[in-house]
Amino acid sequence: MRAILHVDMDAFYASVEQNDRPELRGQPIIVGGESARGVVAAASYEVRKFGVRSAMPTQMALQRCPHAIVIKPRMARYREVSERIFSIFKDYTPLVEGLSLDEAFLDVTASLGLFGSAMEIAETIKQRIRTETGLTASVGVSHNKLLAKIASDLKKPNGLCEIPLAEVLHILDPLPIRRLAGIGAKTAAQLEENGISTFAQLRTATDAVLIPLFGRYTPRVRDRAAGIDERAVVSDSLEKQVSAEETFASDLTRHEALTAELSKLADRVGARLRNKQLMCSTVSVKIRKGDFSTHTRSRSFNPPTNETAALLRIARDLLDAWLAEQARAAIRLLGISVSTLSPATQLDLFAARDPEQRLPHRDNPKSIDPTLDLIRDRFGSSAVQRASSLSPTIKK
Amino acid sequence: MKFTSERERILEPLQAIIGVVERRQTMPVLANVLLSVKGGLLSVTATDLEVELVATTQVTGSSDGDITVPGRKFLDIVRALADKVVVTFSVTGDKATVKAGKSRFTLTTLPASEFPSIDEINAQLAFDVEQSALKSLIDKTHFSMAQQDVRYYLNGMLLESDGKMLRTVATDGHRLALCEMELKTKPGVQQVIVPRKGILELQRLLGNEGTVAVQIGSNHVRITLGDIRFTSKLIDGRFPEYNRVIPANPNRIVTADREVLRAALHRTAILSNEKYRGIRLALRQNMLLLTAHNPEQEEAEEEVEVSYAGEEFEVGFNVNYLLDALSAVGGVEVELGLTDANSSCLVRAPGNASGRYVVMPMRL
Repeated sequence: MRAILHVDMDAFYASVEQNDRPELRGQPIIVGGESARGVVAAASYEVRKFGVRSAMPTQMALQRCPHAIVIKPRMARYREVSERIFSIFKDYTPLVEGLSLDEAFLDVTASLGLFGSAMEIAETIKQRIRTETGLTASVGVSHNKLLAKIASDLKKPNGLCEIPLAEVLHILDPLPIRRLAGIGAKTAAQLEENGISTFAQLRTATDAVLIPLFGRYTPRVRDRAAGIDERAVVSDSLEKQVSAEETFASDLTRHEALTAELSKLADRVGARLRNKQLMCSTVSVKIRKGDFSTHTRSRSFNPPTNETAALLRIARDLLDAWLAEQARAAIRLLGISVSTLSPATQLDLFAARDPEQRLPHRDNPKSIDPTLDLIRDRFGSSAVQRASSLSPTIKK
Repeated sequence: MKFTSERERILEPLQAIIGVVERRQTMPVLANVLLSVKGGLLSVTATDLEVELVATTQVTGSSDGDITVPGRKFLDIVRALADKVVVTFSVTGDKATVKAGKSRFTLTTLPASEFPSIDEINAQLAFDVEQSALKSLIDKTHFSMAQQDVRYYLNGMLLESDGKMLRTVATDGHRLALCEMELKTKPGVQQVIVPRKGILELQRLLGNEGTVAVQIGSNHVRITLGDIRFTSKLIDGRFPEYNRVIPANPNRIVTADREVLRAALHRTAILSNEKYRGIRLALRQNMLLLTAHNPEQEEAEEEVEVSYAGEEFEVGFNVNYLLDALSAVGGVEVELGLTDANSSCLVRAPGNASGRYVVMPMRL
């Protein structure tokens, strides 16, 4: 029997802001873009009462709660807090699967003897997050990912909830099907048309109803409704890709502006790779046009790299090749993701012969990356920037 | 143009050359094979502009001419015909017709003049070598060639003659494989890099019997194996100075039974990180301790009896690199020459200098 925790930070971005700026505490705040096209990245509990939800356009949120305070997201700060929280997780198990900055699954099966019961570990982690970051988390405890996630949602915010095996059906059966991961509004509506609105009804529904909707996944859906889920917690050390993307305040068409944005993204991805002691052999560029059509272009290469300049060079080639076919496209979002990851710990035969020079990101003694990483570690991510990432409007 | 032949006589040359026909071509004619008949001799040519293969066979009832037909389709047809059936190939207008028994196929053609072929390679160096020797040189080093490396000169194999020895060297920057043997003839001094695809095609063609004729030009290498002629462009670049990265005098020498060590590494590898394949080697007095673990916290430990008298120390490697080297090095015993945890390991068979393998460590 496994012991799985699902830790979900309460209104994470908004709580970080309220924690960092005491004057915001108790205030209805929205973290998100303020522009006409901005969306809500996080909403404090004070503003949720007005029906404001994440991913809602900020303008709509402001209609529902006109006195809400809109705050521009500070991703670097959230990432910093997130790293602190994840390092707490890693004190209790190496099997941590991050879903986002503020949400993770932990498999603590092997830690039970060391740190007490699953509930005790969950309580300790909650306490440590509270004292070390000032934030609250909701933790679900159970035997698989599905149940742990449902549990963390049952007593939000600042909750701690366990679903013991004996009570699985008792707790799950009355829940609305929308609580089941993978059942969105559309599927839920179709199920409801067939008189299925709770886990119990889904679990016991006939093939005649489910097969047209779920096809060969029908047995899996039924299992999930019964709280059965064999998926393993996959630790982040086996990450398959690292990525960064940016949605622009208004669509970009100018080549210089796009290149500057690409440079920032390459910098973010490169820093994350170096931080994780990884190298990549594939770079992909994601381009979303104003009409929301999304295009990706990728290229593989060797030897693997984690240098910002190398990543940027490839990303720029890919973007330029795409732009050559789509001249004057208005671009809403750019992203860079890197994959085919390998450890930066494999030493190279032809790198400098001096062992000191062979340290992971010092393979190229001319690289400025290690220096930038050090400066940013110490003084924050905006302390130093590449000239290539400066937007052309500033240059004027 | 016309020829008649028993199915097997044309199937064999087609199978020998088809590997070069790429499934995704940049030019339509590269999907085709060139068929040339001249005085009762049919030659079949395939090319991808980098590697060219020509196979020749005797045919009857022929009239001379050249034409190209879709390569894979022609092969599939000939392969699917009944054994020993007589096949007649003829060209009328811009169509080619293949007849055999009660079957009849009409194929599209492209003129032979559109087919890019390499004629004269201006050989500067020519020598004969035993087929088995060349095969062994390639077999024992090919796995270390790089793939799609931006250091393009690593995406192939160094073929080198120093006047006395014929040598192959391949490296992907993490490990290096070198194999050499003495030549009976004494050709001149030459060093060329044969691209990866050419090496893999050549490896497929080489057998263990007879000799092959090697010709090296400034831009091409040509190897004639009986009825098959292999020509590859060369990579224009400078191969790294491999001698500098082969440890000259490693001070920590471990000797082990090759098969015992290989089997132990193979078992340990099961629980190494599936992607990164790191394993730890701890050296003790006459003992080598292998350990591996994976993200699921599963662990493997193996003790291997070895002969070792140096200091205790630990070093990490990608286990696949060690396994490749151990398989290629041959012999009953194997010798690992180590320096420290940041320096390369030399793998060789004691008393046999022909194969040398260098593996860089992983920092664990």
